[in-house]
Formats: sequence, C-alpha cells, structure tokens
Amino acid sequence: MKKLNKRSNPAFFLLILLPALLVILFLTLYPVINTIVLAFYKYNYLSDEIKFIGLKNFFTIGSDTVFQTAFLNTLTFAAVATVVEVGLGIFLALMFYGDFRGKRPFMITVIFPMMVSTMVISAVWKVLYHYDIGLFNNILRSMNLEPVGWLIDQSKALFSIILVDIWQWTPFAFLIMQAGLNSIPNEIFESSSIDGAGYFRNLRSITLPILSSQILLVIMLRTIDTFRIFGKVYALTQGGPGNSTETVSYFIYREGFSFFNLGRASAAALYVLIAISIIALFYIKGIMKEDM
Amino acid sequence: MKKKILCLLVILSIMPFITFAGGAQEEDGPVTLTIAGRDGAYGDAMQLAADEYKKINPDVNFEILKLSGSSLFEKSVIDMKSGVGTYDIVLIDDPNATQIHKAGWLADLGPLYKEKGLTLDSDFIPTLTQLGRYPYGVNGTLYSLPLVGNVELFAYRMDLFEKYNLAAPETWTNVLEAAKVISANEPDVHPVLFRGSKGNPIVTGFLPLFWAHGGKVLVDGKPALDSPEALKALEYFLELAKFAPEGVSMYQSAQVKDAIYSGTGAMAIEVWPGWIKNLDNPDESAVVGKVKVTKHPAETEKSSPMIGVWLAGIPEASMHKSAAFDFLQFLTSSDMQEKMADVTGIPPTRTSVHEVPALVEKYAWYPAQLDGLNNGVARPRTNKWKEIEDALGTYLQLALIGEMDAKSALMEVNARIGEIVE
Repeated sequence: MKKLNKRSNPAFFLLILLPALLVILFLTLYPVINTIVLAFYKYNYLSDEIKFIGLKNFFTIGSDTVFQTAFLNTLTFAAVATVVEVGLGIFLALMFYGDFRGKRPFMITVIFPMMVSTMVISAVWKVLYHYDIGLFNNILRSMNLEPVGWLIDQSKALFSIILVDIWQWTPFAFLIMQAGLNSIPNEIFESSSIDGAGYFRNLRSITLPILSSQILLVIMLRTIDTFRIFGKVYALTQGGPGNSTETVSYFIYREGFSFFNLGRASAAALYVLIAISIIALFYIKGIMKEDM
Repeated sequence: MKKKILCLLVILSIMPFITFAGGAQEEDGPVTLTIAGRDGAYGDAMQLAADEYKKINPDVNFEILKLSGSSLFEKSVIDMKSGVGTYDIVLIDDPNATQIHKAGWLADLGPLYKEKGLTLDSDFIPTLTQLGRYPYGVNGTLYSLPLVGNVELFAYRMDLFEKYNLAAPETWTNVLEAAKVISANEPDVHPVLFRGSKGNPIVTGFLPLFWAHGGKVLVDGKPALDSPEALKALEYFLELAKFAPEGVSMYQSAQVKDAIYSGTGAMAIEVWPGWIKNLDNPDESAVVGKVKVTKHPAETEKSSPMIGVWLAGIPEASMHKSAAFDFLQFLTSSDMQEKMADVTGIPPTRTSVHEVPALVEKYAWYPAQLDGLNNGVARPRTNKWKEIEDALGTYLQLALIGEMDAKSALMEVNARIGEIVE
C-alpha cells in the first residue's frame, strides 16, 4: 500500500525521469544555446579570433547572394521532393493494398533504396547521369534525341538531385501509408459498399480522412529531412554548376568545417532552425487538430 | 596493521597522480604511432613506409588513418586545436600549412633535429622546405617536412601535334592555336581538358595560365583580381574552354583522367603526377607513348606551374614526438622516397630521387616535374586561402557556364575576397 502511494506521487516519477531529462537537455539545449550565442560573434576556430559583432553575421549572411540562392534552392527541393514523394507513396500504397502473390519480394525490392547509403546511391546516379557515358543519355542518343546535361545544366541539376531523393525516399512514404491503410478495419469499406459507395467515394470519404494524420506526419518528416539535404549535393554536384544546387546545409558545412567560421555558420544554422521550426509548428498544429 | 593499511591507502591515492603525470612523458618500450594521412596512393605509400620501418624497429606499431583531403583537414584541425594528441604525424596540404603553422599546433622540428644531432638535408628541393616553415621563406621556423612533391604539369598528344604540324605548347597562344586545329580536324577528340567543377578544381586548372598572363590573386594581402592581366587571363581561359567537352563545368579528376587515358583528349592543361603514372601501361592506357607530359606554357610571364606539396608534421600535443621524428626522417629519406615513388608513383621531394635513372626511365616526366618543383608557384601564403579559393572557384565557374562575363566575375570576386581578407 505504501509502495503504491509512493509510486502515485508525481515527484517520484520526475525523480526517475530526471537523469534522462538532464542528458536530453544537455545534448539538445546546450548546442542550440551555444549556436545562438556564437551567431553574435565573429569567431574563427582556426585562428581563435573572437569578437562580439551583434547582428552583423545575420545581416551579412542574409544579404549573401550564395546563401539566398541556397535558401531558395532548399525550399524548392523540400517542396518538390516532399509533394512528389508523399503523393507517389499514397498512390503506390493504394495500388498495392491487400494481399497479392509475390508481395514479400515486392516489399523487399521497394524498401531497398532506403537501406542503401546516400553516398553509394549518389555514386551510382552520378554514373547514370554522366553526359558522355551515362545510361540516360545513351538511351536518348539511341532514340536520336539530344543528350541532356543532367548535372551540368544549371536549369536541370537541382531537379536531377530531387529525382534521386524521390527514388530513395518514396518507399518511406509508401510504407507508412500502407501501414495506415492496413489499420483501417475492412468492415468500414464493406458497409460503405453496401450503402452504394464506389472506390473513389470510399477514397475521398473514408480512406484519405482516416489516413490524414499519417499523411501529415510523413509530410512533416520528409519536409524536415529534405530541408537538411546535404549528402546528395556533396556527392553529385558540390553546389554547382554555378550556385544552382547550393543548399543551406552545404553552405553551413563549408562555413563551419572548411573555413571554420563558426560565427557565420551558426547564424546560417539559426536561419534554418527558424525556418524548420515554423514548418514543424504548422504541421504539429495540423496533427494535433486531427487528434482532437 | 593499521599503519600498513594507511600506507597502502596513501600509495593508492597518489597512484593516479603519478600515472597521470607520467602520461605527458614520452614512453619507453613499444610505441604506437597514429598517423592522420591521405587515402589512395598516398595511403599506400605511407603503409609501405610503415611496414618497412617496422622491419627494423619492431617496437614501433602504426595506426594509419587513410582519409580524404577534406576529412583529413577537419579531423586534424579539431584534434590539434583541442590538444588531445591523438595523432603523432599529420599530413598537411600546402595551402593549409600557413593556418596550421601559424596556430602553433605543430612541434618545432629545430630542437628535435638538434636533440638527434641531425641537420635538415640539403637534398630536399629548397622551394618545398620553405613551405614547411613559418613565416614562409628560408628563415622561418621549420614545422613540417615535404613528403609528396606534387606539382601541376601539362600533357598533350604528341601524335596529334606531329600530324597537324603544330608548334609545341610553349606559350598559351600555341595552346589555343593547337586547340582550334584539333577541333577542326578531330571530331572525336576533345581539344582541351581541365577540371571545371567549382571550388578547388577549377581554380587549380586556372592558376597556371593566370600567373603566366601576369595575374595575381593578392598583392600585399589585398585582392588584385581587378587588374588588366587578370581580365586577359580569364578571357583567354573562356576562349580556351570553348574547346573543352560539353560537361566540363562538372569535370573532376576522374573525367579528365578517363579522357586522357582513352585518347579522347588532346591537351590537359592540368595533370598531377598521381594521375599519369600508368599512361604508358598498355593495360590501362590507349595512348602508350603518345602523350608528352611537360611544364606549363609561358605567356607574358614564365611558365608558372602550381605547387601542391603535401607536408608531414608532428603535432605539439603528440605523446611520441621523438619516435615520430625518427619515423619522419625515415619517411622522407632518399631511400624510402625512391621506394615509394617506384611502388606507388607518388612524386618525391628530393632532388637526388628525381635523378635516379630507373625512376627517370619509368616516369619520363621527372625532369619536367623537378623543374616545376624548383620553379613553380605556391598559392598565396594566407590563412584565408580556403575561403579565397572557394570564392574564386565559384565566380570562375559562373563565367565558365556563361552566367557572368569575365569582367563582372572578376569585379565581384575581387570584392568578395576583399571582405574575406578584411
């Protein structure tokens, strides 16, 4: 009885949670605070040059044309990749709903791109995209069409990288959508069919509304992930040609780890943090609304 | 009994302090040297040297990290700055040396030479040992020794030059003329090759012709890319680029090497010793005996190949400085340099090794390489080079892909470099 009382005391649970809470706070809050503080300094890690400069880093980064292009490219990347990946994920989940012969090998094939390292995938796609010897251009040439500068044409390079991301991460959206679909009791569809509802009516009035929280979740996860795009840009184009595939993560990497300008890198990181927080808040609000 | 227990407790309590204090001392007996090195042929060369050294010094073990250039820089900077002393020897790309030397993260090799009763061997190519000193020059403190004698070279197809009776590429004007003729007559051959990717690659290809036209990146620490010489150089570069492959703006070393080895390129304005070691190997090359590797053309100024040496230094925080110094002497000795050059193809940093007949026979470009190392140009000695190179590489590529004209690109990059060096 005494034990029960002790366990029902909220202080007891807080005490148990405290060590984990402290570790989490240290690992998340400390770097964030440190980044915020550093953003107000001109700080070069190599030379140890450190000087308080107020908001100057924010102004210089904000007016830097490379950063502006990088931010715009990142927004484009995140928007296009997320919409296509989630849209395709829903479409595929609906297409392959239910049991069918060969489902297991099909699922393994589907999730394969997600399991391979981004660097390996990028190396393979770099060869596929090669202007002279790449598979895509060879196919185009065999059809007497002009080869395309997949990674060398400024107007196409970003979309070529988006295509790689879609290939790699559509399976993620597909899996979550499929899990959501499988959780819908079959009786609902059966009764709606008895009431005369067709496939599209079911889709509009039952499937999509029930799946909406999963859809929002996938959109949020993919938006945040695509907003941090780095590996594919690093491996495929290194931000080129020109600045056409510059992204904010690549910009921060160069400032932080090539030049060790931690003040500028922190200011750029804060811009990204603010943008991601706004996006995340928007989605979380949507998800919570769904739950209420 | 109580006294004995008390004594034991006292001994046990001071043991950690003794052990901790001893940690900062050089250890006797078996030693493990941790080396922050490069991947590829440099890594193979380091492994070869470590294996050879272990044969005569069985008490010395090695842990060699074979890293990419950027990863090596990040890891070594973070370790040396923190003073942890993880690494006993680090490899440094020469444009990064100024930052690292200036920060005082490497051990001064002078006292170590003195302690061992040795002096710096005059066989090292003098221009290269200067890169290991800070301040740069003959009088600076010696912090690192030149390990890999990298220098940019120029390669061209002799058979095509003979076929069309072209003048040898002694000036950049000759190069452009040759490109025009080859373009008109050889539809399957790209007249000119270089790395056009933004950042370091395009800058590396551009600098030898820029310097040969009289251009300077910095004059007295201030940007000097708004000069007429710089404009002339960039206009020339853009003219020459018209004869490069379609996708040259994304070319990296792999694409340049492929084109040279397969015979689809006539002239490469930038090759490195590591790229060309198998040019005369029929298993790998379709142009055996057809490619001449030589020093860069001149123009208004003399031939100006870019030096890209890799240096080796001992971090100040290393626990095994003495053992590391002994290995460094072995690693940079003429015998080991000869062996590494022979087996892995990495270019030596000693004059005598460039004159070993067997090596000269194997690598016909050794005289040009030695000339390049003796007379080449080092990138500006500034601790802001990485940022300058990044900015220059971005604007050069914008000009290359037609996004900006030569003058605007130079004006803008000049302003950007001004902000960087401010």
